[in-house]
Amino acid sequence: MFAYAIRRIIQSIVVLLVVGLVAFAMFRFMGDPIDNMVGQERSTVDIERLRGELGLNDPFVVQYFNFLNNAARGNFGISYQQSRPVFDILLERAPATLELAGVSGLLAILIGIVLGVFTAIRRDGLAANTIMVVSLIGVSLPTFLIGVLLIYLFSVELDLLPSFGRGEVVKIGGWSTGFLTVSGLKALVLPAITLGLYQMTLIMRLVRSEMLEVLRQDYVRFARARGLPEKLIYFRHALKNTLIPVLTVTGLQLGSIIAFAIVTETVFQWPGIGLLFVNAIQFVDIPVMAAYLMMISVLFVCINLVVDLLYFAVDPRLRDDNAAVKI
Amino acid sequence: MKSTITLSLCIAALTANLAVGAANAETFRWASSTDPQTMDPHAVNSSPVLGFLNNVYEGLVRRDQAMAIEGALAQSWEPLDDKGWRFHLRKGVKFHDGSDFTAEDVLFSYQRASSEAADTSSWFSPISEVRIVDDHTIDFLTKAPNPIFPDSIANFMIMDKGWSEANNAALPSKEVENHATLNTNGTGAFKLVDRQPGLKTVLEPHDGWWGEKQHNITRAEFTPIQNPATSVAALLSGDVDMINPVPIQDAARLKERDGVKVIDGIEARVIMLGFPHGADALKYGADAGKPNPFKDQRVRAAVSHAVNVDAILKTIMRGAAQPASQLVSPAMRGYSASLSERPAYDPELARKLLAEAGYPDGFSFGLKCPNDRYLNDEAVCQAIAAMLSQVGIKAELEAMPVRTYWPELRADNFDMYLLGWSPGTFDAEHPLRFLASTPNKEKKLGSWNFGDFSNIAIDSMLPNIQSEIDDGKRQMMLDHSAKVLQDENAYVPLYVQPLVWGARDNIDLTQRPDNFVILRWINVN
Amino acid sequence: MIKSTITRTLDSDFLWSFRRSKLAMGSFVVVFLLLAGALFSPFIATHNPYDMTTLNLMNGFSAPMEPNAFTGDQFWLGSDGQGRDIFSTILYGLRLSLFVGFMAVAFALVLGVSMGLIAGYVGGWIGATIMRIADVQLTFPAILVAMLIFGIAKGITPVDMREEMAIWVLILAIGLSDWVQFARVVRGATLVEKNKEYVQAARLIGRHPAFIMIRHILPNVLGPVMVIATISLALAIIAEATLSYLGVGAPVTQPSLGTLIRIGQGFLFSGEWWILLFPALTLLALALSVNLLGDWLRDALNPRLR
Repeated sequence: MFAYAIRRIIQSIVVLLVVGLVAFAMFRFMGDPIDNMVGQERSTVDIERLRGELGLNDPFVVQYFNFLNNAARGNFGISYQQSRPVFDILLERAPATLELAGVSGLLAILIGIVLGVFTAIRRDGLAANTIMVVSLIGVSLPTFLIGVLLIYLFSVELDLLPSFGRGEVVKIGGWSTGFLTVSGLKALVLPAITLGLYQMTLIMRLVRSEMLEVLRQDYVRFARARGLPEKLIYFRHALKNTLIPVLTVTGLQLGSIIAFAIVTETVFQWPGIGLLFVNAIQFVDIPVMAAYLMMISVLFVCINLVVDLLYFAVDPRLRDDNAAVKI
Repeated sequence: MKSTITLSLCIAALTANLAVGAANAETFRWASSTDPQTMDPHAVNSSPVLGFLNNVYEGLVRRDQAMAIEGALAQSWEPLDDKGWRFHLRKGVKFHDGSDFTAEDVLFSYQRASSEAADTSSWFSPISEVRIVDDHTIDFLTKAPNPIFPDSIANFMIMDKGWSEANNAALPSKEVENHATLNTNGTGAFKLVDRQPGLKTVLEPHDGWWGEKQHNITRAEFTPIQNPATSVAALLSGDVDMINPVPIQDAARLKERDGVKVIDGIEARVIMLGFPHGADALKYGADAGKPNPFKDQRVRAAVSHAVNVDAILKTIMRGAAQPASQLVSPAMRGYSASLSERPAYDPELARKLLAEAGYPDGFSFGLKCPNDRYLNDEAVCQAIAAMLSQVGIKAELEAMPVRTYWPELRADNFDMYLLGWSPGTFDAEHPLRFLASTPNKEKKLGSWNFGDFSNIAIDSMLPNIQSEIDDGKRQMMLDHSAKVLQDENAYVPLYVQPLVWGARDNIDLTQRPDNFVILRWINVN
Repeated sequence: MIKSTITRTLDSDFLWSFRRSKLAMGSFVVVFLLLAGALFSPFIATHNPYDMTTLNLMNGFSAPMEPNAFTGDQFWLGSDGQGRDIFSTILYGLRLSLFVGFMAVAFALVLGVSMGLIAGYVGGWIGATIMRIADVQLTFPAILVAMLIFGIAKGITPVDMREEMAIWVLILAIGLSDWVQFARVVRGATLVEKNKEYVQAARLIGRHPAFIMIRHILPNVLGPVMVIATISLALAIIAEATLSYLGVGAPVTQPSLGTLIRIGQGFLFSGEWWILLFPALTLLALALSVNLLGDWLRDALNPRLR
């Protein structure tokens, strides 16, 4: 077990290095930051000077090494766009994304589980089938369109919810929260629905199919035979047993919620790291883009690592995986 | 489905209960597609930065509501024969932190704005020396007579010497953080109270401002919103009081809606097509590698007759723009009124010209276009590609974000391209210098002349235009240059870009062709 | 052998369950109609919207069934800002979107299944490497993968070939971001199958590993692979739309369904609702039907749920 864990961690570090390389390489193809940094009337001499100062004329390997070296110390450099340390900017923007991801994740889990249980219990009922079909509409349209349509309906036509931004935020230490103000909570509704819709559908379907499976198990039949109330059977016995796979998937999905917040944040002008990233792309702000990708990678790799280690601990059959098959 | 409805009803009920009164009536909230990159007035010479900072900092001179030059920190100025200009500074002006404004600050700002590290140094290329005469008088000496110098420095903003030096911001910086990139200390009508780059920037009136207050704003909040649909939604729902720009296609609908209005005008920017005058061969399409047909003036003329500008203006631009005949718009100083006719739309003539040039069956080539730089740029290019293919020259359109567009043009990767040009000096000399002069790095000439257009008449006339004091003679030379460019079809000017702002009905504001949002003329009713 | 497979399929519960499900049949009809429309678009469409010489800009923004104010021309579903007939453009766009979707899924399927089989069966450092590559892949959202590939493709392809490249780059990008799903499922199933007696027996009698993988293990994982493939098709078509929204999609002169929606959402507030509505409805119908088919397939292939 210990050896496996060590090996797995080393692998993860290699993964991060590769991600770093790919991330960094990618940005070298994305255009030239200099054009955004100087105005219309600058001269070619200015451009060359600036390139030199930013180290953009160094060989690629040197640039990558410098990047890694600094990144290891939490120094992601200075944003070209904002002229401030990237790390500070990320810290400042993280609360917005984490709150949005948290709320939409929570919404997705709660509604997903409730609807999943419901559709499993009433498997062939009209209501359950309708929910199944309607939930698919949410994943059959691109996120940006759903976001724009929600804004159109709830902000412009009904005038109920704000169309963009986070509303008023309250600073608690270094954390800015939108949970404590009315406008902050209102601003959260539409983006959270937009972002959570896909995950909600996913969780609902997962819960449904797990439930259907569990309901066929012998112990559920015995419970029925013993005359236990249906509600007790569903929620005490069945649901409990479906939760483990659901939570595993949800754990993995949390990472992707944060990554896929990019589109939602763009549509709603949500001041999080996804929007920061999109702005950085527009501006070819290489340090910000690289730092963002590294951050997401660390998150994903950690989640993956934990999930794998858990699986390993739970299911002894998988231990063969790493012993090469003798051919 | 039932539960979905219940859910939305719950949300509706919840939000109805939570609804609170609108923000303070005298708070003015506005949104634009770009955030100013810095709060340093000398670090980046771009209109989002200069436009925003015009509310915070001031120059020696400024532009009034009709774009005419008037005194700001300088009360008056006069030429020193042919040697330069003398500025008499306003007395009793205070910076936001309370310190006094003197000629020392002007000299300091000149040194800062013309330094290597600044992005504004090209403004001062005619200057040989700046001399303080006394506390409130300063001389700008020029290398040659320079009649338009005071007109060209309306965006040269004065910083406080003491504050800048005390905060280690004596030189502008775009690479690293610096006190002046996030903080300001100007003399303008508004002071910066909160700056969150990319998120929100808040201004409040400066109580000790020297000028007469014409606004009633107590607080102004700026938010960048990139997604055009989101910004229109924000205006319609009252989350902001003003947006700039309004997508052109939405203007008509916004005009009809209660509670909002559309303010449109003409921007200083001329949209045009450029050619690869210097290239020997075509680079794109089926004819890549064949000799460059655009070297032939008749082919360029054919392009000018093949594009139906009128149709573009009627449909894609919804009647909001005006056709352009030269590199500057009619609102600019030095515009050639006698040359205001643009080539007529005449596909037959275009085909004839192509046949005369030896291309009776046309050819195919690549058209490069930005898709996030000018209003509806991608749609316009698409329409142009279709119109050109209808006279037989098949354009392969490649539209890209501006971040990759300029490098692409600079690498000469085009057979034809779309360009918009707005002269920072509001003078017809500006595009001659940047777009029509033979590129020359040392003299800082032709730096945006991607196609390497080169004409001896233009090159030799430019220095004379720059130093001519007599307006009549100067205009003659400008007219002559404009004629040369038209006859050569160096560029094909298409139209002057419209300026479309949207505001709530209770907002009074002034829109200028430079697209600056000037807060001191805004009233919230 | 093929013949027997066909008869077996025709007799199976599989088909029986299909005929029993109205939803599945309805979805199949919709998908079939859309596929036919896309395939035969040159014959159904009133004009070829990709042919720029036929466009008249003055026809732009015509409302459905109303004569254009300038030209008097009439369009069944209206026209877009370039004067393209929406109905024809949807058909052509649908064809492009389906092509991108099918190719991307095929690419992801082949890559993912082979990687999954190898990772699961061979294991060892090879398997670990494959799964770590999958981790790297998962780290990058599809959007970023696509941008990366676009960037690289742009850097290495000759300047005059880029337009033709765009579609293939799109396929590669979406396919690359999708293969991990296949690989994970196949690897998991392979790990379970490989320890079963019949596989061990095959190994004992000296069968080549490639033969065992394809002949014995693959048929056992095909069910879940089919389900993933169906759902991936819907996802790929939507991913194409999202990529187009972020500016890395099909060229505007040859719009896909996604590009049409991206263009159309710009007219949501301007009153030209038809530019957005019709392409969006088409996409919805397509993705929804494909998803429903995938749903039904999942249940049908899972005997325990019947």
